[in-house]
Amino acid sequence: MVGVMASMEACIPSLRRYARALLRDRDQVDDLVHDVIVRALDQLHTRREDGDLRAWLFAIMHNLFISRVRRNKRRGPLVSLDEAGDDRFGMPATQDGHMLGRDLLRALDALNEEQRSVLLLVTVEDLSYAEVARVLDIPIGTVMSRLSRARDRLRGLMEGEAPTAIRRVK
Amino acid sequence: MTGADLLPIGEDDLHAYVDGQLAQARREAVEQHLSTDPEAARRVAAYQQQRAALRAAFAAPDEPLPARLMLASILRERRRSRLPNWRIAAGLVLGVALGGSAGWLLHVPSGRGSVAMATLEQEAFSSHTVYAADRRHPIEVGASEAAHLRQWLSNRLDRSVAPPDLSASGYHLIGGRLLATEHGNAAALFMYENAGGQRLSLLFRPMAPTMRASPKDISQGRMNGCAWIDKGMGYAVVGVMPDSELDGIADDIRVALNTG
Repeated sequence: MVGVMASMEACIPSLRRYARALLRDRDQVDDLVHDVIVRALDQLHTRREDGDLRAWLFAIMHNLFISRVRRNKRRGPLVSLDEAGDDRFGMPATQDGHMLGRDLLRALDALNEEQRSVLLLVTVEDLSYAEVARVLDIPIGTVMSRLSRARDRLRGLMEGEAPTAIRRVK
Repeated sequence: MTGADLLPIGEDDLHAYVDGQLAQARREAVEQHLSTDPEAARRVAAYQQQRAALRAAFAAPDEPLPARLMLASILRERRRSRLPNWRIAAGLVLGVALGGSAGWLLHVPSGRGSVAMATLEQEAFSSHTVYAADRRHPIEVGASEAAHLRQWLSNRLDRSVAPPDLSASGYHLIGGRLLATEHGNAAALFMYENAGGQRLSLLFRPMAPTMRASPKDISQGRMNGCAWIDKGMGYAVVGVMPDSELDGIADDIRVALNTG
């Protein structure tokens, strides 16, 4: 597995993107990515050689994120979307993108964590359904049902709250 | 017509269609279905818009990675934090404070381990100094006889030893040799070389069966390296190169050998 370092380095931007989707707060995002890399380096020798590196890294991130969410629930909530200023989000600054982004993010926040992870891994990270099943350690049937519920819920929220916004996306 | 496009179109097909996860025949079957089912077509269109909006919202920024997320700096940071002595001492105090027996259990192996590591380190530097500098006879058996090399050294060490492939880091195996340890046992040294003629040596040095030590950065003169002990085998990689490069190679070796 020589060259694994280079492959890992190539995954860092997409880990960061997924972390941003999960957390949004820039400092928390980079903390999480940093901790994922450190843990991955610690566990490199336990990794199955034939496994996909990117899916393995996402699995580490998912587990760290979940344990962090649980810990934060005990200690008090993360910064919510409404409290956080715009500068806390890593969103594109274009006007349309910005407005749409806020509606979309609010709707995304209304999904439960399980649905959100599946939706993000599939749509933003382009993982196959089988890879998502491995990352989240759930059966592929559960991936499909969560994806379906996430999309219908998001559709309902977006059409209910911002009927014009979504049509701007072509 | 194949079997795949005859199956009825289900919910999962609509999602897989939106996500581009269908084979061509099935994709065409879904398109056919959508042309006759306006409700399904509306849902698919909404899912496609969602997908595009999510991807746009989370598009990877062009900004460069902050320094603390660069692999090289994380590796450096890890090397610094690989338990310098005062931290081991602090850990011991904590161990004793948490529970007397745990503290003592920690103490015994780390004491023996540090002696073993010092020996391993010294043998690695001495071997590299003597043999890597020998332009004509750095090794006894060349890489062209790779199977024989492995078999011979495994027999002499009475353990399975095999040199990892480091070609992705630009180093190719030139061969190996048998070494004598100060305890009168056999050790194995593999020598690698890069295109610039720089050499790197990898030492396999048998230790007491239960011995274990985390990777530690070592240096002597211009040489730097990394040494660790896992399941009773000491490993040390030594060369003359930037720390970050050596770190990457040491991590690759640990992965390839499946050791601590």
